[in-house]
Amino acid sequence: MNMTPRMEHGLVLFLVLMFLIPCIMIIFISEEVPYRIVPGEPVRDVAQAMGISVTSVKDTTWNLPGATGGKTYVLTDSAGNVVTVSTQAFDSAESRDAAIRLYNANPVGRGKPMGSLMVVGQHVVYVTPANSEILQRIAPELKKKSSP
Amino acid sequence: MSPEATGTTSGLPSKKVLGLFALAMINVAAVLSIRNFPSMAIYGWSCIGWYIIGAILFLIPISLAGAELATGWPEGGGVYAWVKQAFGEKGGFTALFCEWSNNLVWFPTVLSFIASTLAFALTPSLSASPWYMFSVMMIAFWGTTAIAYFGEEASTKFGNIGVILGSIIPAILIILFGIWWIGSGQSLVLPPLTLGAMVPAINMSTLPFFATIILLFAGMEMAGFHALETRDPQKDFPRAMALSAAIIVVCTVLATLAIAVVIPADKLNLASGVMQAIQYFFNAAHVPGLVAPMAVLITLGGVVSLAAWLIGPAKGLGIVAEEGNMPPMFDRTNKYGAPVAVLVIQALIGSLISLLYVFLPSVNQAYWILSAMTVELLCIVYILVFASVIKLRYSQPDKPRPFTIPGGKAGVWIVGGLGLFGTTLAFVVGLMPPSFFASNGLAYVFSVLLGTFLLAVPPLVFLKCKKASWEKPAEPGRDLS
Repeated sequence: MNMTPRMEHGLVLFLVLMFLIPCIMIIFISEEVPYRIVPGEPVRDVAQAMGISVTSVKDTTWNLPGATGGKTYVLTDSAGNVVTVSTQAFDSAESRDAAIRLYNANPVGRGKPMGSLMVVGQHVVYVTPANSEILQRIAPELKKKSSP
Repeated sequence: MSPEATGTTSGLPSKKVLGLFALAMINVAAVLSIRNFPSMAIYGWSCIGWYIIGAILFLIPISLAGAELATGWPEGGGVYAWVKQAFGEKGGFTALFCEWSNNLVWFPTVLSFIASTLAFALTPSLSASPWYMFSVMMIAFWGTTAIAYFGEEASTKFGNIGVILGSIIPAILIILFGIWWIGSGQSLVLPPLTLGAMVPAINMSTLPFFATIILLFAGMEMAGFHALETRDPQKDFPRAMALSAAIIVVCTVLATLAIAVVIPADKLNLASGVMQAIQYFFNAAHVPGLVAPMAVLITLGGVVSLAAWLIGPAKGLGIVAEEGNMPPMFDRTNKYGAPVAVLVIQALIGSLISLLYVFLPSVNQAYWILSAMTVELLCIVYILVFASVIKLRYSQPDKPRPFTIPGGKAGVWIVGGLGLFGTTLAFVVGLMPPSFFASNGLAYVFSVLLGTFLLAVPPLVFLKCKKASWEKPAEPGRDLS
């Protein structure tokens, strides 16, 4: 055999690394959001500070373990864009993370999950549609609220 | 030798155990997913329009192209064999590898779905425990790998029973409850059906959903990986494609509408998963006792879907290794003909990615990028398949094809062209960063493209390192050309 077992093992290792490199790289460049109590209503606060109208608010509690309640907002900007933002607070990092896993576990077909999910302290913030100018504006401010 | 007899093909003992029904069930297992129904139901009547777009730009083209390619080149390897005929080994290996590698990123999502759905039947709070999640995910993953180890016959029996119990019966139950709901005069949450209500809103906000809808029916080519075990591929493939497409469309559209007319859109909170929607649905129908059994069935459906995607591309990779395009280590098969080396490597990599998925969930945005990579990789597979069906009409016009896309060359251009248009557009749209990445859009696009490249490039490295000693002498009865 021309190929030594060492080289053969090297190719297997190469294959494994090709999968792990993207995963590890992305995890390193992404920021983990710590679980901490963010007071008030972060979405309403940010929207109002940016001049985005909150056209409706409803209380909502998701049927998930550890969910302690949240709001569903309909936000409208001056250009007429409309998004629906649901927030839900969780009583622990474990229950919040379980909700994130559940979201990622529900893609449509072989694609991505619907909408966008953000994490703000103890809140999970779900926005639909995934792409909108309103989310583009409020996302950086919501991220700031996550930082200790 | 009768078609039922055991055949030997270059080291892979293959029993001709698959008929029309089993082939169709492989596709149904790969494509039909209860998970999609609540997500699509939120669109109300316009889900019909979205489904029509998915059918015209993907489902119909891939079914017709798959039927022509599978009957013309009924060798093992599925997309590998088809694309290799058109674009050579590099193209074929790349197509297959993209299909295999996108799976490895997708596995944690379906495994997590299985674990959280099972938790719903046991104690929903279990899903908050990473250790419960990881344990069940590993049992499901390695258990399915073990079924694949016992070869095609065991996988087929498991798949046939599982897809009926875990996918088709739950879908039929949902449809029947929907019919009962309407028939018993309960209030419908959707407005009256009009033509306009079925038209989906397509704009910059909904464009990313386009990629999703195109890949909603991904997996219709899965039966092609099992050509070597098919009794009469040239007769059964086209019929299996038609049967599976019909089952998938009927179940998907009717079950989605059943949910849409019963559950208000604001209750279909997409962050809450399919079981929460099912629970609301059965509570509304006054049969809450069915929720737990339904969770068990849907869990089984998830396992069967996992099995279909786990086994098919792995078999294809086994064929690639058998043809000498990968080191002999990948070419190890057992007495059942299962490509054990590929299965074990796949399970190890999938387990590692699952570990990251479970224990680092709050880096949610990172997983979004990985999901985007899977979309891009799948698009590459289908772009190559559609390009192949067109090219082969010119490069091998005289090759007997028991099934051909109707309409001659114009027909193949229309069908292949629609598929190419849909998947290319999905590839481009798949690069659009979601709004929460907007401040770092270029980094997002770069990350997705780099990751896609890294996951697609290994075949070129393997072919570059290829040695003559990797090749096995061809045995009678197997065309390796």
